[in-house]
Amino acid sequence: DDDFDENEVDISDLKEKYEVQLEQGFDTFVVVDGLPVVTEEQKPKLVKFLLKKLNTAGKTREDLIFMPMGDDGKSLQFAFVEFSTPNEAAAAVRQLDYTPLDKKHTLRVNKLTDIDRYGREGRIDEEYTPPVIEPFQEKEHLRSFMADPSGRGRDQLVMFRGDTVGVFWANEKEAPENIVDRQHWTETFVQWSPLGTFLVSVHAQGVQLWGGASWTRQRRFAHPFVNLVAFSPNENYLVTWSNRPIAIPDDGHPALSLDDDGKNYVIWDVETGKPLRSFAQLEVAQPAGGDENAPKKPVKNPWPAFKWSPDDKYVARLNQGSSISVYELPKMNLLDKTAVKLDGVMDFEWAPATVQREGVKNYEQLFCFWTPEIGSNPARVGLMSIPSKQIVRSLNLFSVSDAKLHWQSEGAYLCVKVDRHSKSKKSQATTLEIFRIKEKGVPVEVVDTIKDTVINFAWEPKGDRFVIITTTEPVGATAVPPKTSVAFFCPEKAKGNAVGNFKHLRTLEKKNSNAIYWSPKGRFVVVATVANTQSSELEFYDLDFEGEKPESDKDLTANLQLMNTADHYGVTDIEWDPSGRYVATWASFWKHAMENGYHLYDFKGEQLREEPIEKFKQLQWRPRPATLLSKEEQKQIRKNLREYSRLFEQEDAERISSADVAVVEARRRLLNEWYDWLEQMEEELAEEREA
Amino acid sequence: MRPILLAGHERALTQIKLVPPPFLPFPQEGTVNFVGWYNREGDLLFSTAKDQHICAWFAHNGERLGTYQGHQGAIWTVDVDPTSTIIASGSADNTIRLWEIKTGKLLKTWDFPTAVKRVEFNEDGTRLLGVTEKRMGHLGTIVVLDIKLDVNAEQSDEKVMTIVCDESKATVAGWSYLSKYIIAGHEDGSVSQYDGKTGDLYYNFPAHELNQQITDLQWNQDRTYFITASKDKTAKLISAKDLEVMKTYPADTPLNSATITPKKDFVILGGGQAAMDVTTTSARQGKFEARFYHKIFEDEIGRVRGHFGPLNTVAADPTGKGYASGGEDGYVRVHQFDKGYFDFV
Amino acid sequence: KEHLEILARKEIIQKRKDKASEAQAIKDKEAARKKMLQEQLLQQAEAQRLAEEQKIREQKRIANEREQIKRKEVESMLKDMKLEDLAGEDLDNLDSNKIRMIKLQQLEREKNTVSEKLRVTGKRLDHLERAFRKEEAKKLPDDYAK
Repeated sequence: DDDFDENEVDISDLKEKYEVQLEQGFDTFVVVDGLPVVTEEQKPKLVKFLLKKLNTAGKTREDLIFMPMGDDGKSLQFAFVEFSTPNEAAAAVRQLDYTPLDKKHTLRVNKLTDIDRYGREGRIDEEYTPPVIEPFQEKEHLRSFMADPSGRGRDQLVMFRGDTVGVFWANEKEAPENIVDRQHWTETFVQWSPLGTFLVSVHAQGVQLWGGASWTRQRRFAHPFVNLVAFSPNENYLVTWSNRPIAIPDDGHPALSLDDDGKNYVIWDVETGKPLRSFAQLEVAQPAGGDENAPKKPVKNPWPAFKWSPDDKYVARLNQGSSISVYELPKMNLLDKTAVKLDGVMDFEWAPATVQREGVKNYEQLFCFWTPEIGSNPARVGLMSIPSKQIVRSLNLFSVSDAKLHWQSEGAYLCVKVDRHSKSKKSQATTLEIFRIKEKGVPVEVVDTIKDTVINFAWEPKGDRFVIITTTEPVGATAVPPKTSVAFFCPEKAKGNAVGNFKHLRTLEKKNSNAIYWSPKGRFVVVATVANTQSSELEFYDLDFEGEKPESDKDLTANLQLMNTADHYGVTDIEWDPSGRYVATWASFWKHAMENGYHLYDFKGEQLREEPIEKFKQLQWRPRPATLLSKEEQKQIRKNLREYSRLFEQEDAERISSADVAVVEARRRLLNEWYDWLEQMEEELAEEREA
Repeated sequence: MRPILLAGHERALTQIKLVPPPFLPFPQEGTVNFVGWYNREGDLLFSTAKDQHICAWFAHNGERLGTYQGHQGAIWTVDVDPTSTIIASGSADNTIRLWEIKTGKLLKTWDFPTAVKRVEFNEDGTRLLGVTEKRMGHLGTIVVLDIKLDVNAEQSDEKVMTIVCDESKATVAGWSYLSKYIIAGHEDGSVSQYDGKTGDLYYNFPAHELNQQITDLQWNQDRTYFITASKDKTAKLISAKDLEVMKTYPADTPLNSATITPKKDFVILGGGQAAMDVTTTSARQGKFEARFYHKIFEDEIGRVRGHFGPLNTVAADPTGKGYASGGEDGYVRVHQFDKGYFDFV
Repeated sequence: KEHLEILARKEIIQKRKDKASEAQAIKDKEAARKKMLQEQLLQQAEAQRLAEEQKIREQKRIANEREQIKRKEVESMLKDMKLEDLAGEDLDNLDSNKIRMIKLQQLEREKNTVSEKLRVTGKRLDHLERAFRKEEAKKLPDDYAK
């Protein structure tokens, strides 16, 4: 059932680059090298052993293995093998080269044509068959994508449509400029690493990382039947998950060992490509005292199960109801050899950044967690510091039916959305409890009591404002989704650097909105209705509008302005570019087959581009690492912005006018060609008519 | 561009033809069921539908001149001879029929083993080709008949020529300039060039995506090049002489028809997802619009909405004043171009 | 005879007297009638005048009321449309159509100022990002060396 054919990955461009044209015919042969010396009697045993290995990559038979023997009756330590197709031969080279046989022997597998080629080029001595050394190749700069060769500071994006994955430079109104386009680059989806260094492709055999200017394969993580991948924030590690437990074949696995058998999660070191540790799925506790015969609830695996601390030093997993296991990287040992016991713990989240707290000298990593009411004990939200395992702050709460944890991007605030029920459990209300992490003693502010159900919450990235979406009716499987309200909150003005109390800014009622998308730089936010068959509106807001401010908001740190509204029929996904200048929206074939394709808007909601594409599946902007510029350099650029502005205006004007000229010229050429053809055709026709 | 709506068919349209003046004398008593009078200024328009009669209309006002009754099945195709004397029609009743335009009199019936999907007169109206369907042991063919452009003459039963399409059945076909070639479009997306006299296959070329049926083939005025429409969502402008694809017009929906406008350099495409292929009931999804492209630059210029179902056929007015479209919804829409159209460079 | 004459004369005199007084009476009556008629006319005229005056007053009142209502309407409309600044100017010359037009113009102006403000914001965002990236690109070779 392993039907993945790695050769479907289109490497034709690479082939063209690196492969010399050769005569056909030997493409199905490989040379297996590095074998132990055997006698004629031992030979069949070795051949059998070899056959078993070779057949993991392709189809061959005993009689297709030719192992030459020396004059002394002993083998020459290599063999020729014929596979049924060139693809299988290639797969054997990829999969089996460098397979260890025992302590002394490592299998080398090369294409016969390669040996032939390098041999012919005179690089090797005819007398013996040395291991073929990969031609030296300078390692590419994996962050070269940060510079736009056109000098226009554009961003990259990846698009997956049909069977083809392509990376592009995003242009404003013109079609994106293709950088690389490959068919069958991935089997299920693609994903950028969090700093944009790698593009991840997902295959039945595992995941592959691609990057550099020539889009070569950088790493492979052979987790069979992998379903999902997640990187640590600094790209040092990644975790792969498959719902199928790993089954190590009898003859071993190229990357994993018997220790990994039966496991679902693998934590990998990105630099070395080696697995660090693997884990089995946790049994989800079935409700106690339940009927044995009752249909078991489908096991729902929370993703991400393994959550990374922002400094890549720890990864932790929740054991719901009992504890949190914190592992230290890169050794992957359990911190202090024991899980953090937290009775009843329901959920936890790492602060997304290392927070500098007032009155604390050592900034450790923080995570928050919550535990429900047990008996007469109240529910509790706690903040724990790692590695000291100190509880930094703890808040007791009563009548809690559920809680959700929302960190602000810099870890400055934590909002705990607490759903509470009345004593009779009939009515329900939501409170927002905001932990001000940076302030002394971590004060907690209760912002508001909301009667309606809060279906969405989002902090402004790098900011201190937030948006919520509420609905009067509980969200259920109703035919028509209920109307929603969108509410904006921001701090009051305060003296000095202090942040004032959070206040309600505005509520917009009778909406259908269900999703909030903040610009990654803050300030701008898109409130949208996605994956809804009835409506699909997009609303673009500015929270720091530079125009007149209503008198009623004068004490608040926001000036809300609706910039624009748009409608993208069938929209399923929305994503801001990393610069906060553009918003891409798309209707994915994964969700429905209606009007698949994407729209591109600028931050203020003006539509720049609309492209319907058959079977459009996925779009993702390429993330960028933190700027290489120092604070001082950034300040300098801001100071001289006027100069840069003038230069850019000029460049843009020149580009546009030269593009216009090019268009006019191209049209003139087309016209001329057409009329030349017509004239010639008419002449011919006249001649033939007379004849 | 306010359209005239012609609602004379109860079923989906299959083909329409526009005919330039000269015009007809007063109609006589006969099998044509006339509807009202006509004036001599307008153009005539013929339409066939999946119902069993051919309609003749005055394009300028949408008045129905009459209907031609006699076919026993859906009528797929109609063509008018260059002198506007006779029309030929092909039908699911496995016949090609000739009719006198002005009286509606049935002049001749040829029987075939399968349905006739396309008929076309050559330049001088002396020959007629017919494309027959492939079914139950019968290969698709292109047949050629000799025609006498005289309503009183005895038409020959003989087929002058039969081209058998054994690779992939022909779906559409037509005569090139000087009747030098017969050009056919096939179910597999390819285009063939046959000798117009001998029927020898000169060349077969995969102009459209493999197995994406060619749904229409229409000529420019001197028949030196033609446009094909295909289910592969493109239309292509191809030279008759060497089957060179000169232009490609990409659309976002499967195409059923394409036509070249005389005088101005445009092409008009029609199509849309058939109801059975549309995954939802959303009318947006259908894309039931006539699309205008610049013939030489290949860019889309605009769209005209109006039909409630896919456009099965579009036809440019040979005088260049307008176009007509026929839809799955059973309507023929006749559009006169407005001033902006003629000002457009 | 003389007596008779006297008597006759007396009688004549009496008759004449009677006649005269009769005539006078008629005359008086006529005068009175005329006077009455005149008075009646005058009265009628006065009543008419009064009625007219009343009518005019009524019309004025109605017009006033209308004006008032219209004014109120205009005021409330201005309030609804948040155009209070216009109040007190010349409300009499405003009607709902004019107000609508003014409002539209104002909205248009507002939209233009908003979009102009946002255009400037957008330019600045774009140019700042491009300037950062331009300078950053210069540092990439160093980054590669690491």
